[in-house]
Amino acid sequence: MNCFSDCSTTVSLVTRQTLELWRGTMKEVGGKFGTGVLSYFKFLKWLLMFNIFSFLVNFGFITIPQLIYHPTPDIPTGVSFKGLEILTGAGYFSHTVMYYGGYSNKTQGTGGWPEYNMQLAYFFTITAYMVLCGAALIYSMASSFRKKYVLADSGLGGAWQLLCSWDFSVTNERAVRQRKNNLRIQLKESLSEKVQVALLPLTERLKHYGVFLGTWLLSTGMALGCGASVYFLQSADKASGSLLEEAATLLLPFVVSLINLVVPLFYSLFKKIEHYSNPRMQVYAIIVRNVILKMSILGILCYYWMKDVANTFSCWESIVGQALYRLVIVDFLFIMLGSFFGEFLSNVIGTKCIQSLGVPEFDVARNVLDLIYAQTLAWIGIYFSPLLPVIQIIKFFILFYLKKVSLTQNCQPPRRAGRAAQMQTIFIAILFFPSFVGALSMVAYTMWTLPPSDNCGPFRGLNTTFSAIQIWMDDLNGVDGFQWIVWIYQHVIRSEIFYFLVSLIILVFIYIFRQITQGRKLLIILLRQQIVNVSSSELSGPKCLVHQCCCV
Amino acid sequence: MGTTASQLRKDLLSEYQELTFLTKQEIILAHKRFSELLSKEDRNIPTPRVPMEKVLSLPELKSNPFRKRICHVFSTSDMKDGSLTFEDFLDLLSAFSDSATLEIKSHYAFRIFDFDDDGTLDGGDLEKLVNCLTGETDDTRLTTEEMRQLISNILEESDIDKDGTVNLSEFQHVISRSPDFVSSFKIVL
Repeated sequence: MNCFSDCSTTVSLVTRQTLELWRGTMKEVGGKFGTGVLSYFKFLKWLLMFNIFSFLVNFGFITIPQLIYHPTPDIPTGVSFKGLEILTGAGYFSHTVMYYGGYSNKTQGTGGWPEYNMQLAYFFTITAYMVLCGAALIYSMASSFRKKYVLADSGLGGAWQLLCSWDFSVTNERAVRQRKNNLRIQLKESLSEKVQVALLPLTERLKHYGVFLGTWLLSTGMALGCGASVYFLQSADKASGSLLEEAATLLLPFVVSLINLVVPLFYSLFKKIEHYSNPRMQVYAIIVRNVILKMSILGILCYYWMKDVANTFSCWESIVGQALYRLVIVDFLFIMLGSFFGEFLSNVIGTKCIQSLGVPEFDVARNVLDLIYAQTLAWIGIYFSPLLPVIQIIKFFILFYLKKVSLTQNCQPPRRAGRAAQMQTIFIAILFFPSFVGALSMVAYTMWTLPPSDNCGPFRGLNTTFSAIQIWMDDLNGVDGFQWIVWIYQHVIRSEIFYFLVSLIILVFIYIFRQITQGRKLLIILLRQQIVNVSSSELSGPKCLVHQCCCV
Repeated sequence: MGTTASQLRKDLLSEYQELTFLTKQEIILAHKRFSELLSKEDRNIPTPRVPMEKVLSLPELKSNPFRKRICHVFSTSDMKDGSLTFEDFLDLLSAFSDSATLEIKSHYAFRIFDFDDDGTLDGGDLEKLVNCLTGETDDTRLTTEEMRQLISNILEESDIDKDGTVNLSEFQHVISRSPDFVSSFKIVL
């Protein structure tokens, strides 16, 4: 029996070490480059888990039943597999279970298998996955905010923060020397910042504000301009049978990815003109600009799909799914290109040609925003292409190793001890707010309002996707014992009063908690003053007594 | 052949797991790495002690600027020579592990930074701390004026009762406002 428990411990140890994906690699990266760069890889791993979960859920509940009942897809004659499908996703793939159009709408029950309502399965799988994702994101955002953001002082990189942020997990000799160097430079900078009292004259400040206004207008204008050009390009984009025209459908994703690659480089030129008081504000400004650019392009594309594609094409959900597939694939190619230009070429230029530039640093913010963009595409595409997570999983897997190799070959550890924890919170917040909420609202709008296409997909023939639930509720009404489900549906889910009341209660709670926070801040100030008073009275107290005794 | 000496007993393993923040796998791995540091004769002593030089040869500690202080803080030897038994080693790994609480980490960080072991961080300790982190050679140190300015900034920020030193509570207060501390105060085998 001893032997058995020994064996089981060894087995569990070995499986734990192999299943804990990439543990050794991440330790190596953290040891050489520190926790800031490591946070990128941890974020990548976290997003990969979302996609693996999505794949399991979709494959298990939607694709497998479809494959059981219809093992071979009904491909119309004349369409065969050419190599181009891997890039465009159209052609042969558009009739398979890859896209919405490949799923049937019948309640399967033939051949001895139990009954399986495809419509309800599709609807509930997608909804349940989105709700679980949203819950996971809100939870990690809230706990990250509480732990890392609220507690941090608003002080300008105080000396203690620098000293206490020494990274004990860095083990590489050269990296440690470099960190010591960087820390010394930062300490000297913070000393000189404190000495300079930054009270600029009014004309200087007006000039700075003018420059800010100009750059922000310019960047927002560029984002909107790119969005408009994408819209006009899209309207000129029609796909049909011949090989050349299918290849031409790749033009739009190519242009989108090119914009996403080039325009942020242009934004970083603004750094030379603007003078932010805090280097952190500069990073925030870059992040906000990039997010506005990416989200406005995605917003324009979604608008085009909702308004024009939904009314023009016959099997429009599959068309949208194919467009998203193309965007994902081309985005992957461009990330690889971006890695090549951003890191490899910069390294070559910095070391061989222009020595003053030096070895490049790994730009965590830009890379994380690329990841968020890729994940947004996957979330939008869940409804239109249930197997899109497979592509995403492959993409992230390859991306991990690619970035790791590029990092170790081409980059040096970051110079500033960045506020890794606060940036982590901001990235999760961006993942939640424009990215997930945007994708969710688009899917919700599609499910709630848009009529599904008439001749393909699981919801053909219905007015909206949501009508499937209505039909199911009507069926349940006739069955005894399930009346309470119907009651909940009619009086809770479909009534507006319920949501109004819930929102009101949440607002009241937020107000109460805010007042508590304000009260506590005041209490902290009073207590600090008390500590100083008590300790100074302790220091002077006994002396006074002795003096009094002596005097008296 | 020597299996009982080089493997950890079941009851000890669960006892260690309860007393530290480490998981079973981490304790087993620590035992393996500790046994590698022991010399042949020491392997059969009941509580072997590894001298400080051997401990400092571990790759995780080799380049750490605080390696000597870490050994001194966790060592229970009477001769104050920084040598570690296996239980000291586990204490070390437990304090630096992922699941250790902020209180434990800040407590040990305070003891590590307290170079003269007097229970408070005064100007001398802070100066040694800054020198440890910026460099040992003359051209990498801060100048005397910069050091003075830096130490007075630090004390202004963290000395709440204005007595000229930073005691444990003030240190823990500063640490609690530094969200990066928990993730960077980590050593994992």
